[in-house]
Amino acid sequence: MDLSITSLAQIIIACLMVIGLMVANAVVMVYFERKTAGFIQRRPGPYEVGPRGTIQAICDSMKLLGKQLFIPGNVDWLLYFLAPVLAFFPVLLLFLPIPFGKFLTAMSVDEGILLILAFSGLGVISNILAGWSSNNKYGLLGAARAVSQSIAYEIPMIMSLLAVIFLSGSLNLSQIVEEQGSWPWQWNICVQPLAFFIYLVSLVGETNRAPFDLPEAESELTAGFHTEYSGMGFALFFLSEYANMLLVSFVCVTFFLGGWKGPFLDGFWWTFIKAYLIMMFIVWLRWTFPRVRFDQLLNINWKWLLPLSILNLWITAIVVKLL
Amino acid sequence: MFRAIVDNIKGLWSLIVGLSITGRFFFSPVKTVHYPRQVVDPESLASYRGPLELVPADDVGGSKCVSCQMCVRACPGNCLTVIKGKEGKAPETYLYDFTLCCLCAACVESCPTSAIRFSHNVYLTARTREELHMDLLADLKARAAKASQ
Ligand code: SF4
Ligand code: SF4
Repeated sequence: MDLSITSLAQIIIACLMVIGLMVANAVVMVYFERKTAGFIQRRPGPYEVGPRGTIQAICDSMKLLGKQLFIPGNVDWLLYFLAPVLAFFPVLLLFLPIPFGKFLTAMSVDEGILLILAFSGLGVISNILAGWSSNNKYGLLGAARAVSQSIAYEIPMIMSLLAVIFLSGSLNLSQIVEEQGSWPWQWNICVQPLAFFIYLVSLVGETNRAPFDLPEAESELTAGFHTEYSGMGFALFFLSEYANMLLVSFVCVTFFLGGWKGPFLDGFWWTFIKAYLIMMFIVWLRWTFPRVRFDQLLNINWKWLLPLSILNLWITAIVVKLL
Repeated sequence: MFRAIVDNIKGLWSLIVGLSITGRFFFSPVKTVHYPRQVVDPESLASYRGPLELVPADDVGGSKCVSCQMCVRACPGNCLTVIKGKEGKAPETYLYDFTLCCLCAACVESCPTSAIRFSHNVYLTARTREELHMDLLADLKARAAKASQ
């Protein structure tokens, strides 16, 4: 890859657009999530601010920006400030290799998926730093849970992605989309249904969403690793959480659901439609299932997802070799 | 091993059942109302225990109470003060402290003449403690006056 001025400008523009996407995504998803929670519990959800409560999320974020940045006593303040920043910025980078459309990729790198998997690990580091530096027992417990959970769920996640990579023989995300066709039966989900299922479960675990939201289990740990954060610090964690959700949905779409290809007319809209359908599914999961216990969470992973994903990988390897 | 696999498949099926239930609820109409603009239909409030009120005996604000003090004795929270009037059996004062009331209905059940009952007022608000020290006779008169208008 040449690092000329134009490609640098391209990356900067892409970063700005990704920031816009992250903020818009968080605002829309907060509204959508609260509405869904309301409807599932047979109540209207946010309703009073703006027509049908549409600007509720914007008002809430304005309020969040105006909040005092409260720093509790005895924090390790360098790490305390570093943690939210570290949660936010790597996510920016993760969106760069995603092929939104045929030509709509910020930075088409050959090892795109490696880049994503490597940098998504930084999110966990920010959780540890946040939990550790805030000098709060809930924070520390939340951070400890976040680490063991992420380590556990990253493995089946990578294994299930590897199965697809075996098929397409490339780490380049655009290449993987190119291998799939426009119609649903030409997508990887039909060839690799088990891998898709494993990925779906581990993406919920990886993004710390209910029913696997143990690092921030409200009823046990107040808010987990970000208990002591207020104002902008909290907002950054919040933004990056929703952005991570969006990212894993995009990766899922790219690997299993045909990316920007879709029936009738290929284009970036299919990426977004499919990714948001997955987001809706994640929200639906959250308001349906109760939180699992921590040992159950690790049991699901080590006893079922990991063996299943290894089995799936073996079968894929043998079939690829034979054909 | 085999059992565990069967159990897990059953477990997965139960997850789908759960999703279908919440999915159905998502599309069914909401149960709550937008309070200031809409109120709950009074019939569904019939079983609600609001603060006590006296049962009217006639249209002009008379009560069925015979000042027997049964309710005062039955009340575990000492909420009630009943003072008999000079003439007849009708009470002269009937005070009720809602801040102490646990809505246990011991008074309602012990009353020989069924003179008290729970109101269905879900919209009660108060800014001071004193507003919840209620004079039930005055309240009964006010209701009678309002009804006769
Ligand atoms: S409901 Fe119970 S607590 Fe309230 S006034 Fe009657 S007896 Fe006393
Ligand atoms: S028990 Fe009934 S009749 Fe007796 S004082 Fe109380 S309200 Fe009046």
